[in-house]
Amino acid sequence: MASHAAHSPAPHHDEHAHADAHSEGKFHIFVQIAMLLAVITGVEIVLIYLPLTKWLIVTSLVVLSTVKFMFVIFYFMHLKWDKLFCTIIFFIGLVLAGGTMWALLKLFSAEASLPLETAQAALRALA
Amino acid sequence: MSSHAGPIDHHHDHTTSTGIPNKKLFMWAFLASDCMFFGTLISTHLIYRLHPPPGSPDVKSIFSIELTSFSTFILLMSSLLMALAVNSLQKGQVRSTRQNLIGTIFFGLIFLACQVYEFSHFVHEKGLTLSNSIFGSTFYVLTGTHGCHVAIGVLWLVLMYIRSFKPADADQGRAWLIKGFFHLIVWGVTIVASMASMLGLVHAIQVGDGFGGFLHHHPVEFGVSILGLIVLWLLSRQEGPVDFGEANAMDVESMGLYWHFVDIVWIVIFTAVYLLEYL
Repeated sequence: MASHAAHSPAPHHDEHAHADAHSEGKFHIFVQIAMLLAVITGVEIVLIYLPLTKWLIVTSLVVLSTVKFMFVIFYFMHLKWDKLFCTIIFFIGLVLAGGTMWALLKLFSAEASLPLETAQAALRALA
Repeated sequence: MSSHAGPIDHHHDHTTSTGIPNKKLFMWAFLASDCMFFGTLISTHLIYRLHPPPGSPDVKSIFSIELTSFSTFILLMSSLLMALAVNSLQKGQVRSTRQNLIGTIFFGLIFLACQVYEFSHFVHEKGLTLSNSIFGSTFYVLTGTHGCHVAIGVLWLVLMYIRSFKPADADQGRAWLIKGFFHLIVWGVTIVASMASMLGLVHAIQVGDGFGGFLHHHPVEFGVSILGLIVLWLLSRQEGPVDFGEANAMDVESMGLYWHFVDIVWIVIFTAVYLLEYL
């Protein structure tokens, strides 16, 4: 190792300089993303008071939250620079969690999931 | 400190079969499992909100969007400081890492103080308890579990901060262990006293007593907070080489992953639990 360093000091110097430049670049990226996240949060708060249709506001809130979520995991949590396997392992958990949430929400919205008394009252009203 | 000849590659580890450092892989697997944990808690809350049983409280009259928005900004900024702490240590800047860790701890504590205030306000002023409605049960379990995650994160941050003072001289190991334990006790006492002072000050301002009224009612908490901060400042003035640097960046990065995860869970809770109630 020492002999390698003695024969070729320049590449190590370049690597250090490259790493420093990379870290310095990251500092600015992190600050800009934090500002962006703060602005998006502000937009979300304003959005709920706007006289728009409900589906449009809900869709906008979901999209904005997803954008915030993705910025945090890919930049603050370094997924952008890490190996793809880290992204895959996290998204396995995320997809399973999302699927469970979707299934639960659908199950409990189904008519068969209504409490018996409520269901009987609904049937009586129909009759 | 470290004996490596070239710069450390913080994203790839050629000694593992996956090319990913084991600590990082473990943390990502844990966070994936925690996604499912929070997924079930959030969906349980949403199910009861979509199908509220008779007698459910008027949630809009209970929530304070200003306080929750403030908490959200605080947690986002703590995430920025955490990312900067990792970035600093990857460059071997221990002093900057410590400053960013303290900033993250401070913002984490503000978030926790906001949550304690919110829960206290809901229970005493709005009459919403864990057991008097399904909304109360699902809300407190969900946000309380998130709060527990934040509290664990703060404890981890404090331990990492204390760890950054470990001397490079191995002969001082036992003395450092005792000093580290004392450091942890001082942190604990200061945090509890500061939280009590902060909540006392907010209460005094609300009832119109001002800072004078706060000092009159909470002299011990305020005094212990100031004393604790002075001792922490003195403890942070340790000189000499430390066994903490670029080689420990993975430990701080793993902790950072946990902290950012707490942030992304709050991003979802803020929208699903709070904002959607205002539509």
